[in-house]
Amino acid sequence: MEHLVALDQGLSKYQPLKRILAYDDFDRGLCGWIDLHPNYVGRDFNTLRYSLVDKTQWGPIMLSSASFRLAGTHGSLDGTYSMKLSTRPVARPYTEAPAPGSLSHSIKRMTTHLPKGLRQFEMWYAYTPEQDRQGISEHAMRAFGFFFDVQDDDYRYFIGARYLNAVDGEMVRKWQIFKAKDVSDLEWAYGVENDWCKHGIDAMWYGRRYPDGSTDGFKWVDNGYQDLCYNESDDKINWGYARLLIDTQKREYVELQSGSTVFDLRGIAPTLTPPYARIKGLFNPSIWVENDSDRRVFFYVDSVVISAE
Amino acid sequence: MRNFQASAVERRITIQGEFASHPMEAGWASEALFFLIVEELTDAAVLRAQVEISADGINWIPEGTAFEAIGRPGHYFVKVSHFGNWLRVKGVVERAGAAAKLSVHLHLKG
Repeated sequence: MEHLVALDQGLSKYQPLKRILAYDDFDRGLCGWIDLHPNYVGRDFNTLRYSLVDKTQWGPIMLSSASFRLAGTHGSLDGTYSMKLSTRPVARPYTEAPAPGSLSHSIKRMTTHLPKGLRQFEMWYAYTPEQDRQGISEHAMRAFGFFFDVQDDDYRYFIGARYLNAVDGEMVRKWQIFKAKDVSDLEWAYGVENDWCKHGIDAMWYGRRYPDGSTDGFKWVDNGYQDLCYNESDDKINWGYARLLIDTQKREYVELQSGSTVFDLRGIAPTLTPPYARIKGLFNPSIWVENDSDRRVFFYVDSVVISAE
Repeated sequence: MRNFQASAVERRITIQGEFASHPMEAGWASEALFFLIVEELTDAAVLRAQVEISADGINWIPEGTAFEAIGRPGHYFVKVSHFGNWLRVKGVVERAGAAAKLSVHLHLKG
Protein backbone atom coordinates (compact mmCIF):
# COMPACT_ATOMS: atom_id res chain seq x y z
CA MET A 1 0.00 0.00 0.00
CA GLU A 2 1.26 3.46 -0.89
CA HIS A 3 1.06 6.12 1.79
CA LEU A 4 1.12 9.86 1.34
CA VAL A 5 2.19 11.48 4.59
CA ALA A 6 2.16 15.21 5.27
CA LEU A 7 4.82 15.91 7.87
CA ASP A 8 4.40 18.40 10.69
CA GLN A 9 6.23 21.60 9.73
CA GLY A 10 8.12 21.37 13.02
CA LEU A 11 10.00 18.44 11.47
CA SER A 12 11.51 20.63 8.76
CA LYS A 13 14.38 21.55 11.07
CA TYR A 14 15.20 17.85 11.47
CA GLN A 15 16.81 15.26 9.19
CA PRO A 16 14.96 12.09 10.20
CA LEU A 17 15.59 8.67 8.73
CA LYS A 18 12.74 6.99 6.86
CA ARG A 19 10.76 5.79 9.88
CA ILE A 20 10.05 8.29 12.64
CA LEU A 21 9.71 6.36 15.88
CA ALA A 22 9.07 9.42 18.04
CA TYR A 23 8.56 13.12 17.39
CA ASP A 24 8.30 14.62 20.86
CA ASP A 25 7.44 18.31 20.86
CA PHE A 26 7.17 19.24 24.52
CA ASP A 27 4.41 21.73 23.80
CA ARG A 28 2.28 18.58 23.84
CA GLY A 29 3.41 17.38 27.27
CA LEU A 30 6.30 15.24 28.46
CA CYS A 31 5.67 12.62 25.74
CA GLY A 32 6.77 9.70 27.90
CA TRP A 33 10.00 11.21 29.21
CA ILE A 34 10.50 10.68 32.94
CA ASP A 35 13.05 11.21 35.70
CA LEU A 36 15.58 8.41 35.97
CA HIS A 37 15.54 6.71 39.35
CA PRO A 38 16.89 3.42 40.70
CA ASN A 39 15.04 0.14 41.22
CA TYR A 40 12.77 0.35 44.27
CA VAL A 41 12.57 -3.39 44.73
CA GLY A 42 13.92 -3.80 48.25
CA ARG A 43 12.19 -3.86 51.61
CA ASP A 44 9.78 -0.90 51.97
CA PHE A 45 10.61 0.01 48.36
CA ASN A 46 14.18 0.87 49.26
CA THR A 47 17.04 -0.02 46.96
CA LEU A 48 18.70 -3.39 47.18
CA ARG A 49 22.35 -2.58 46.80
CA TYR A 50 24.73 0.05 48.08
CA SER A 51 26.39 2.28 45.52
CA LEU A 52 28.68 5.26 45.83
CA VAL A 53 26.37 7.04 43.40
CA ASP A 54 23.01 7.91 44.98
CA LYS A 55 20.63 7.87 42.03
CA THR A 56 17.53 8.69 44.08
CA GLN A 57 18.26 12.41 44.19
CA TRP A 58 18.77 13.45 40.56
CA GLY A 59 16.98 16.75 39.94
CA PRO A 60 13.44 16.60 38.53
CA ILE A 61 12.39 17.19 34.94
CA MET A 62 9.49 19.52 34.21
CA LEU A 63 7.61 21.33 31.46
CA SER A 64 9.27 24.74 31.32
CA SER A 65 8.38 28.06 29.75
CA ALA A 66 12.05 29.08 30.15
CA SER A 67 11.13 32.14 32.22
CA PHE A 68 13.79 34.40 33.73
CA ARG A 69 13.90 37.08 36.41
CA LEU A 70 14.44 40.12 34.18
CA ALA A 71 13.79 38.84 30.68
CA GLY A 72 10.44 37.14 31.27
CA THR A 73 9.38 34.13 29.23
CA HIS A 74 11.72 32.83 26.56
CA GLY A 75 9.37 30.07 25.50
CA SER A 76 10.55 27.26 23.27
CA LEU A 77 11.56 27.00 19.63
CA ASP A 78 8.13 25.95 18.40
CA GLY A 79 5.88 27.39 21.10
CA THR A 80 5.95 27.95 24.83
CA TYR A 81 7.11 24.73 26.48
CA SER A 82 10.24 22.66 26.57
CA MET A 83 11.31 19.73 28.72
CA LYS A 84 13.67 21.09 31.39
CA LEU A 85 16.20 18.94 33.20
CA SER A 86 17.25 20.65 36.44
CA THR A 87 20.03 19.72 38.83
CA ARG A 88 20.02 20.48 42.53
CA PRO A 89 22.50 23.05 43.89
CA VAL A 90 25.10 20.52 45.00
CA ALA A 91 28.32 19.35 43.37
CA ARG A 92 31.62 17.66 44.10
CA PRO A 93 35.02 18.17 42.51
CA TYR A 94 35.22 16.60 39.05
CA THR A 95 37.38 13.64 40.02
CA GLU A 96 34.94 12.41 42.67
CA ALA A 97 31.76 10.41 42.13
CA PRO A 98 28.94 12.85 41.29
CA ALA A 99 27.08 14.24 44.32
CA PRO A 100 23.45 13.23 44.89
CA GLY A 101 21.39 15.71 42.85
CA SER A 102 24.28 17.07 40.81
CA LEU A 103 22.76 15.59 37.67
CA SER A 104 19.34 15.54 36.12
CA HIS A 105 18.49 12.71 33.76
CA SER A 106 15.49 12.10 31.54
CA ILE A 107 14.63 8.85 29.81
CA LYS A 108 12.03 7.54 27.38
CA ARG A 109 11.52 3.80 27.61
CA MET A 110 11.01 2.00 24.32
CA THR A 111 11.74 -1.38 22.78
CA THR A 112 12.80 -2.04 19.23
CA HIS A 113 10.45 -3.47 16.61
CA LEU A 114 12.48 -3.14 13.42
CA PRO A 115 15.35 -5.11 11.91
CA LYS A 116 18.73 -3.88 13.11
CA GLY A 117 20.22 -0.97 11.22
CA LEU A 118 20.58 2.78 11.39
CA ARG A 119 19.01 4.66 14.30
CA GLN A 120 19.11 8.40 14.89
CA PHE A 121 18.60 10.73 17.85
CA GLU A 122 18.04 14.42 17.08
CA MET A 123 17.13 17.29 19.38
CA TRP A 124 16.95 21.05 19.59
CA TYR A 125 18.14 22.19 23.01
CA ALA A 126 19.46 25.07 25.10
CA TYR A 127 21.10 25.36 28.52
CA THR A 128 21.90 27.82 31.27
CA PRO A 129 22.68 27.82 34.97
CA GLU A 130 20.11 29.27 37.35
CA GLN A 131 20.40 33.05 37.18
CA ASP A 132 20.73 33.42 40.94
CA ARG A 133 23.71 35.81 40.82
CA GLN A 134 25.16 38.39 38.52
CA GLY A 135 27.71 37.62 35.87
CA ILE A 136 28.03 35.00 33.16
CA SER A 137 27.91 31.49 34.58
CA GLU A 138 28.70 29.27 31.61
CA HIS A 139 31.41 27.53 33.65
CA ALA A 140 28.79 26.21 36.11
CA MET A 141 27.68 23.72 33.42
CA ARG A 142 29.93 20.69 33.61
CA ALA A 143 28.44 18.52 30.89
CA PHE A 144 25.39 17.35 29.03
CA GLY A 145 24.83 14.36 26.84
CA PHE A 146 22.41 12.19 24.92
CA PHE A 147 22.49 8.53 24.05
CA PHE A 148 20.67 5.27 23.41
CA ASP A 149 20.66 2.48 26.00
CA VAL A 150 20.34 -0.64 23.83
CA GLN A 151 20.01 -4.32 24.59
CA ASP A 152 19.90 -6.80 21.72
CA ASP A 153 20.06 -10.60 21.83
CA ASP A 154 23.71 -10.67 22.86
CA TYR A 155 24.74 -7.41 24.49
CA ARG A 156 23.71 -4.30 26.32
CA TYR A 157 25.47 -1.12 25.31
CA PHE A 158 25.35 2.63 25.85
CA ILE A 159 26.02 4.58 22.68
CA GLY A 160 26.00 8.37 22.61
CA ALA A 161 27.84 11.59 23.22
CA ARG A 162 28.75 13.98 26.01
CA TYR A 163 29.74 17.62 25.66
CA LEU A 164 32.24 18.32 28.41
CA ASN A 165 31.79 22.03 28.96
CA ALA A 166 33.83 22.72 32.10
CA VAL A 167 35.93 20.92 34.69
CA ASP A 168 36.23 22.50 38.13
CA GLY A 169 35.54 25.95 36.72
CA GLU A 170 37.84 25.71 33.71
CA MET A 171 36.25 25.64 30.27
CA VAL A 172 36.92 22.49 28.21
CA ARG A 173 34.27 22.55 25.41
CA LYS A 174 35.03 19.15 23.92
CA TRP A 175 32.87 16.26 22.74
CA GLN A 176 33.31 12.73 24.04
CA ILE A 177 31.53 9.46 23.18
CA PHE A 178 30.60 6.47 25.33
CA LYS A 179 33.45 3.98 25.16
CA ALA A 180 34.84 2.49 28.34
CA LYS A 181 38.45 1.81 29.13
CA ASP A 182 39.38 -1.76 30.02
CA VAL A 183 38.70 -1.65 33.76
CA SER A 184 37.01 -4.10 36.11
CA ASP A 185 33.41 -3.85 37.34
CA LEU A 186 34.88 -2.97 40.74
CA GLU A 187 36.92 -0.08 39.37
CA TRP A 188 33.94 1.04 37.29
CA ALA A 189 31.83 1.37 40.46
CA TYR A 190 34.46 3.40 42.37
CA GLY A 191 35.61 0.31 44.28
CA VAL A 192 32.19 -0.63 45.67
CA GLU A 193 31.74 -4.41 45.80
CA ASN A 194 28.60 -5.91 44.26
CA ASP A 195 27.31 -2.65 42.80
CA TRP A 196 24.36 -3.23 40.47
CA CYS A 197 26.20 -1.54 37.64
CA LYS A 198 28.53 -3.34 35.25
CA HIS A 199 31.49 -2.11 33.21
CA GLY A 200 30.31 0.12 30.36
CA ILE A 201 26.84 0.81 31.78
CA ASP A 202 25.81 4.24 33.12
CA ALA A 203 29.01 6.07 32.19
CA MET A 204 27.13 9.27 32.97
CA TRP A 205 28.21 8.73 36.58
CA TYR A 206 30.31 5.56 36.73
CA GLY A 207 33.92 5.18 35.66
CA ARG A 208 36.79 6.99 37.32
CA ARG A 209 37.27 10.62 36.32
CA TYR A 210 40.60 12.38 35.78
CA PRO A 211 41.63 16.04 36.16
CA ASP A 212 41.96 16.64 32.40
CA GLY A 213 38.30 15.75 31.90
CA SER A 214 38.84 12.22 30.65
CA THR A 215 37.04 9.34 32.35
CA ASP A 216 37.11 5.54 32.24
CA GLY A 217 33.73 5.72 30.49
CA PHE A 218 34.32 8.08 27.58
CA LYS A 219 36.62 8.51 24.60
CA TRP A 220 37.52 11.94 23.26
CA VAL A 221 36.12 12.70 19.81
CA ASP A 222 38.91 13.47 17.33
CA ASN A 223 39.09 17.24 16.76
CA GLY A 224 36.16 17.40 19.16
CA TYR A 225 36.68 20.95 20.42
CA GLN A 226 33.63 23.11 19.66
CA ASP A 227 32.50 26.53 20.85
CA LEU A 228 28.78 26.26 21.39
CA CYS A 229 26.67 29.40 21.38
CA TYR A 230 26.39 30.69 24.94
CA ASN A 231 24.94 34.18 24.90
CA GLU A 232 26.04 37.30 26.82
CA SER A 233 23.76 36.74 29.79
CA ASP A 234 22.46 33.66 31.63
CA ASP A 235 18.87 34.55 30.69
CA LYS A 236 19.54 34.51 26.94
CA ILE A 237 19.23 30.99 25.61
CA ASN A 238 19.90 30.04 22.01
CA TRP A 239 18.45 26.80 20.64
CA GLY A 240 21.03 24.43 19.20
CA TYR A 241 20.84 21.25 17.14
CA ALA A 242 22.39 17.88 17.94
CA ARG A 243 22.21 14.60 16.05
CA LEU A 244 23.60 11.14 16.74
CA LEU A 245 23.54 8.43 14.07
CA ILE A 246 24.32 4.83 15.04
CA ASP A 247 24.20 1.40 13.42
CA THR A 248 22.66 -1.31 15.60
CA GLN A 249 23.53 -4.00 13.03
CA LYS A 250 27.26 -3.27 13.21
CA ARG A 251 26.97 -2.03 16.82
CA GLU A 252 28.94 1.06 15.83
CA TYR A 253 28.79 4.80 15.83
CA VAL A 254 28.26 6.53 12.48
CA GLU A 255 28.09 10.32 13.00
CA LEU A 256 27.69 13.00 15.61
CA GLN A 257 26.43 16.37 14.43
CA SER A 258 26.44 19.49 16.61
CA GLY A 259 25.23 22.65 14.94
CA SER A 260 26.67 22.52 11.45
CA THR A 261 29.71 20.44 12.47
CA VAL A 262 29.65 16.72 11.66
CA PHE A 263 32.05 14.37 13.42
CA ASP A 264 32.73 11.11 11.56
CA LEU A 265 32.61 8.26 14.07
CA ARG A 266 32.47 5.32 11.66
CA GLY A 267 34.21 2.19 12.79
CA ILE A 268 34.09 3.04 16.49
CA ALA A 269 32.28 0.48 18.63
CA PRO A 270 30.69 1.18 22.00
CA THR A 271 31.51 -1.03 24.99
CA LEU A 272 29.56 -4.28 24.85
CA THR A 273 28.31 -5.65 28.17
CA PRO A 274 26.64 -9.04 28.79
CA PRO A 275 22.84 -8.62 28.69
CA TYR A 276 20.90 -7.73 31.82
CA ALA A 277 17.90 -9.85 32.81
CA ARG A 278 14.42 -9.08 31.42
CA ILE A 279 15.31 -6.13 29.16
CA LYS A 280 15.73 -7.79 25.76
CA GLY A 281 14.94 -5.34 22.99
CA LEU A 282 15.48 -2.31 25.22
CA PHE A 283 15.86 0.90 23.23
CA ASN A 284 15.91 3.91 25.54
CA PRO A 285 16.80 7.39 24.33
CA SER A 286 18.13 9.43 27.25
CA ILE A 287 19.42 12.92 28.02
CA TRP A 288 21.29 14.22 31.03
CA VAL A 289 22.97 17.33 32.40
CA GLU A 290 25.55 17.74 35.18
CA ASN A 291 26.60 20.85 37.11
CA ASP A 292 30.18 21.83 37.90
CA SER A 293 29.56 23.81 41.08
CA ASP A 294 26.95 24.02 43.81
CA ARG A 295 24.27 25.64 41.67
CA ARG A 296 21.31 24.49 39.70
CA VAL A 297 21.87 24.12 35.97
CA PHE A 298 19.08 23.75 33.47
CA PHE A 299 18.94 21.90 30.15
CA TYR A 300 15.95 22.70 27.94
CA VAL A 301 14.80 20.40 25.14
CA ASP A 302 12.39 21.93 22.63
CA SER A 303 11.80 18.66 20.83
CA VAL A 304 13.29 15.27 20.05
CA VAL A 305 13.09 13.06 16.97
CA ILE A 306 14.02 9.38 17.11
CA SER A 307 14.12 7.69 13.72
CA ALA A 308 15.19 4.50 11.97
CA GLU A 309 16.04 3.44 8.43
CA MET B 1 -7.49 15.95 26.92
CA ARG B 2 -5.73 17.85 29.66
CA ASN B 3 -2.07 17.48 30.53
CA PHE B 4 -0.89 15.99 33.79
CA GLN B 5 2.38 15.41 35.59
CA ALA B 6 3.05 13.73 38.92
CA SER B 7 6.54 14.72 40.03
CA ALA B 8 8.47 13.30 42.96
CA VAL B 9 10.10 16.68 43.55
CA GLU B 10 11.88 15.56 46.72
CA ARG B 11 12.40 11.86 47.29
CA ARG B 12 12.88 10.55 50.82
CA ILE B 13 15.03 13.38 52.11
CA THR B 14 15.93 13.68 55.78
CA ILE B 15 15.65 17.20 57.10
CA GLN B 16 16.37 19.10 60.28
CA GLY B 17 15.25 22.67 60.81
CA GLU B 18 14.13 24.52 57.69
CA PHE B 19 13.80 23.09 54.20
CA ALA B 20 12.47 24.20 50.81
CA SER B 21 11.55 21.93 47.92
CA HIS B 22 13.09 22.20 44.45
CA PRO B 23 11.67 25.09 42.36
CA MET B 24 9.15 23.68 39.90
CA GLU B 25 7.79 25.44 36.82
CA ALA B 26 4.05 24.99 36.60
CA GLY B 27 2.89 27.75 34.28
CA TRP B 28 1.13 25.30 31.98
CA ALA B 29 -1.07 23.95 34.78
CA SER B 30 -4.24 25.43 36.21
CA GLU B 31 -4.34 23.40 39.37
CA ALA B 32 -1.80 21.84 41.69
CA LEU B 33 -1.72 19.47 44.63
CA PHE B 34 1.31 19.34 46.89
CA PHE B 35 1.67 16.10 48.86
CA LEU B 36 3.89 15.73 51.88
CA ILE B 37 4.63 12.06 52.53
CA VAL B 38 6.15 11.87 55.98
CA GLU B 39 7.77 8.51 56.72
CA GLU B 40 9.52 9.38 59.97
CA LEU B 41 9.29 12.19 62.48
CA THR B 42 11.54 11.91 65.51
CA ASP B 43 11.35 13.28 69.07
CA ALA B 44 7.63 14.13 68.92
CA ALA B 45 8.52 17.01 66.63
CA VAL B 46 6.02 19.11 64.70
CA LEU B 47 6.45 19.81 61.00
CA ARG B 48 5.00 23.03 59.60
CA ALA B 49 4.93 23.70 55.85
CA GLN B 50 3.39 26.13 53.41
CA VAL B 51 3.23 26.77 49.68
CA GLU B 52 5.38 29.52 48.20
CA ILE B 53 5.23 31.25 44.82
CA SER B 54 7.84 33.32 43.01
CA ALA B 55 8.19 35.88 40.26
CA ASP B 56 11.51 34.41 39.12
CA GLY B 57 12.08 31.00 40.70
CA ILE B 58 14.72 32.50 42.99
CA ASN B 59 12.97 34.90 45.39
CA TRP B 60 9.98 33.37 47.18
CA ILE B 61 6.88 34.63 49.01
CA PRO B 62 4.09 32.75 50.83
CA GLU B 63 1.11 31.90 48.63
CA GLY B 64 -1.18 31.71 51.66
CA THR B 65 -1.89 27.97 51.61
CA ALA B 66 -0.43 26.01 54.51
CA PHE B 67 -0.47 22.42 55.75
CA GLU B 68 -1.97 21.88 59.17
CA ALA B 69 0.70 21.17 61.75
CA ILE B 70 2.00 17.63 61.14
CA GLY B 71 2.82 15.60 64.25
CA ARG B 72 3.10 12.06 62.92
CA PRO B 73 3.98 10.11 59.76
CA GLY B 74 1.37 10.02 57.02
CA HIS B 75 0.22 11.45 53.70
CA TYR B 76 -0.85 15.11 53.67
CA PHE B 77 -1.90 17.47 50.88
CA VAL B 78 -2.89 21.03 50.04
CA LYS B 79 -4.52 22.48 46.91
CA VAL B 80 -3.35 25.57 45.01
CA SER B 81 -4.37 27.51 41.92
CA HIS B 82 -3.50 30.93 40.46
CA PHE B 83 0.20 30.47 41.07
CA GLY B 84 1.91 31.89 37.98
CA ASN B 85 4.94 29.89 36.93
CA TRP B 86 6.79 28.82 40.06
CA LEU B 87 5.84 26.60 43.01
CA ARG B 88 7.60 25.15 46.01
CA VAL B 89 6.93 24.08 49.59
CA LYS B 90 8.83 25.61 52.47
CA GLY B 91 8.77 24.05 55.89
CA VAL B 92 10.43 23.61 59.24
CA VAL B 93 10.84 20.82 61.76
CA GLU B 94 10.11 22.64 64.97
CA ARG B 95 12.34 21.02 67.55
CA ALA B 96 16.09 21.34 67.78
CA GLY B 97 17.77 18.08 66.87
CA ALA B 98 14.59 16.46 65.57
CA ALA B 99 14.43 15.11 62.02
CA ALA B 100 11.84 14.25 59.44
CA LYS B 101 12.16 11.80 56.56
CA LEU B 102 9.78 12.92 53.86
CA SER B 103 8.96 13.22 50.19
CA VAL B 104 7.34 16.15 48.39
CA HIS B 105 5.19 15.26 45.42
CA LEU B 106 3.60 17.78 43.07
CA HIS B 107 0.60 16.91 40.92
CA LEU B 108 -0.06 19.37 38.11
CA LYS B 109 -3.05 19.41 35.77
CA GLY B 110 -4.09 21.79 33.04
